[in-house]
Amino acid sequence: MADLLNQTGGGAPDPSLWDTPFPSMDALNDACDAFPQSRQVTLGLERGFLDIKDALSYVLDPITQPLSWALEWALWMFQSTPWWIMIPLLGILVLAISRSWKLVAFVVLAFCAMAFIDYYVYAMQTLAVIFVCATLCVLLGVPIGILMSRSDPFERTMIPVLDMLQTLPPFVYLIPLIFLFSVTEPKLYGIAIILYAIVPVVRLTNLGIRLVDKEVIEAADAFGMTDRQKLFGVQIPLALPNIMAGVNQTIMMSLAMVVIASLVSAPGLGVLVLRGIRNLELGVGLISGLGIVLLAVILDRSTKAALARVNAAQKS
Amino acid sequence: MEDPKIKIRNLYKIFGNDPQMALEHAKNGVGKSELLAEYNHVLGLRDINVDMQAGEITVIMGLSGSGKSTLIRHLNRLIDPTDGEVIVNGENIMDYNARKLRGLRRTNMSMVFQKFALLPHRTVLENAATPWIVEGKPRKDYEAEATKWLDRVGLQGQGPQYPHQLSGGMQQRVGIARALTSNSDIMLMDEAFSALDPLIRTDMQDLLLELQAELQKTVVFITHDLDEALKLADHLVILKDGQVVQQGEPQHILMNPNDPYIIDFISDINRARVLRARTIMTKTSEDPGTTSGDIDANATLEDVIAKSGGNAELSYRVTHEGRMIGLLSMRDVVTALVPTSASDDGMRHAS
Repeated sequence: MADLLNQTGGGAPDPSLWDTPFPSMDALNDACDAFPQSRQVTLGLERGFLDIKDALSYVLDPITQPLSWALEWALWMFQSTPWWIMIPLLGILVLAISRSWKLVAFVVLAFCAMAFIDYYVYAMQTLAVIFVCATLCVLLGVPIGILMSRSDPFERTMIPVLDMLQTLPPFVYLIPLIFLFSVTEPKLYGIAIILYAIVPVVRLTNLGIRLVDKEVIEAADAFGMTDRQKLFGVQIPLALPNIMAGVNQTIMMSLAMVVIASLVSAPGLGVLVLRGIRNLELGVGLISGLGIVLLAVILDRSTKAALARVNAAQKS
Repeated sequence: MEDPKIKIRNLYKIFGNDPQMALEHAKNGVGKSELLAEYNHVLGLRDINVDMQAGEITVIMGLSGSGKSTLIRHLNRLIDPTDGEVIVNGENIMDYNARKLRGLRRTNMSMVFQKFALLPHRTVLENAATPWIVEGKPRKDYEAEATKWLDRVGLQGQGPQYPHQLSGGMQQRVGIARALTSNSDIMLMDEAFSALDPLIRTDMQDLLLELQAELQKTVVFITHDLDEALKLADHLVILKDGQVVQQGEPQHILMNPNDPYIIDFISDINRARVLRARTIMTKTSEDPGTTSGDIDANATLEDVIAKSGGNAELSYRVTHEGRMIGLLSMRDVVTALVPTSASDDGMRHAS
C-alpha cells in the first residue's frame, strides 16, 4: 500500500535528512521555475564578455600590435641567421654573462645535438619567443615592482592580482585571449606568456627593494641623495640579486608557458610535443620534451651564473 | 659664550596614528606608559632642550629605548618631530623645504652609522667619496680628497677594495672617512663604535679624539656605554624614557648625579680611570710647600695613584698649563673612588 502511494505521488515521501539537497540554483529552479538555473551564471558571464569584447579588442588590438611585430621579427631573425653564426653567437653570449667555459661548451654541444637530429629550427623558434617575452616581462615588471616598493597602497592592490596570475591554471589564460584576438596572430600567445611569466620579476623586484638595508637608505638620505640617486645608485644595485633571481624565474616560466601556448599556434618545440600527444608519436613527443629540458637547463644555468656573479660582487 | 651651533628647543616626538592629539596629553603631563596604555601612542621624546657648542663633542647617552637614536635623527631630519625646533647655525631647520634640507645634509652635516651603512657595490674609495659623488663631481675631482681622508683614518692603499673585504673596524674607518670627506662642520655619530669589539673600539675613540683635536668639528655622539661617553664628552646629555635626566660637564655629573637612574649608571664604572684631578682637587693657588710633586689638571686618578705608588700620605700640586690651580691630597683621591650612591649626601649634592 505504501509503495502504491509513492508511485501515484499521493503522499509526498519524507526525504531523509541525509538526502536534503543544498539549496543550489538548480535545486531551487526545480521547486520554482521563476528561479534562474545555474548555467545562467556562466552564460551571463559569457554574454557580458562578448558584449564588451569588441570595445576591448578595439583598445587592446593597437596597443598590443607591437608585440606581434616583435615576435614576428624575432622569429624571422632567429631562423634566418645561419646556424654557424647563431651557435657561436649564443656561446659568446653565455660566456659574457657567465664567464664559464664549461657552460659554453655545454650550450654549444646541446645546440649541435639538437641541430643534428633536425630540431634546431624548433629550438630557435622557442628561444625567439622566450627572448621577446622575457625581455618584455623585465621591461614591464621591474618598473611595476619599483612602483610597488614605493607605495604601500599600490602594493596592496597588486598582490591579489599577482596571486591570481600565478595561481590561474595556464590553460585558463588562453580562453579569453582566443575570443579577443585571432589565433593566427602571435600576440595571442605573447600576451598569455607575458601575463604568466611576469609575476616573479615583479614580486622579487618589489621584495628586493624593500629588503635593502634600512641603514644604508638612511645613509643615502643623510648624505643628501635625491630620490633618483637613491633609486639608481643604491636601491636597484642592492636589490639586483633579488631582481636577477626574479628574471631567472620569469625565463623559466616563459619556457613552461611557450609549450602550453602551442595550443594556440605558438611555434617551437611545444608544437612537436602537441604532435606527440595528438598523433601518439611517442618518439617525437619524448625527444622534443628532452629538447625543452635542455633549453631549460641552458637558460637556468646561464642566468644563475650571472646571479652568482652579482652576489659575489656585493656580499656584505 | 658663543651662540650654540645646534639648539634643540622643546622637541617632542610621538609615534602613532594621531600624534597631535597625543601631543596635547603629553604636554599636559601624561606619562609615557599611560600614553601607551590609554591612547596607544608611543612617546619618543619629551620636551628636549639641548645646546651643542661649536667645536665640542656632545655625547647623548641612554639605554636602548631611551630615544637617543631618534633624537640624533632629528638633527638632520631623517625623522621629523611632532613639535619643537632644531636650530642649526641660527636657522630653524623645520622651516626648510626638501631642497634646502638636502643642501644642509650635503654641506653642513655628515653622519656615521652603527652598522657602517657603506654601499657594498662601491669600492672603499667611492664610498669615502660619497658626498662628492652625490654632488655629481667626477672621479678626478674627488679622488685626491677621498684618498687624503682614507689615509688620515689609517686606510692607506685600501681604496680599490670592496667594503666586505675589510674588517668591521676598518669598515667603520671608511664610514668616518666618508663623513670627513664632506668637509661638513657637524658630524653625527649614531652608536658609531658600538658594533666593534672592545680593543678596536678604544682605538677608534682615540682616533676620534685625535681628529677632533685637529679639526674641531661639532660632534654629536650617541652611545649606550658610559665609559665611552665619559671618555669623549665635552658635554654629556643623559636620556631616559625620552627625557633628558641630566646634562652638563661629565665630571660634574659624575660627582653630582641628580637622579637614582644616573647613580645606578655610574656605580659600575671604573672611577679611577674617568675622574680627573681637577674635579676633586681643592681650588687654591697658594702653595703650602709640603707637596710631593706636580700633576696635570686632566690627569686621571689612576695616573695619580700610579705616581704616588699607593702612599696615602702624599699630596700634590695640580697645574694647568704650567700654573698651579689647586691641591690634591691622596686622601681625597681615595675618598673619590667610593661610588656616590654609597655616601650619605651623594644625591642632591649642591650643584
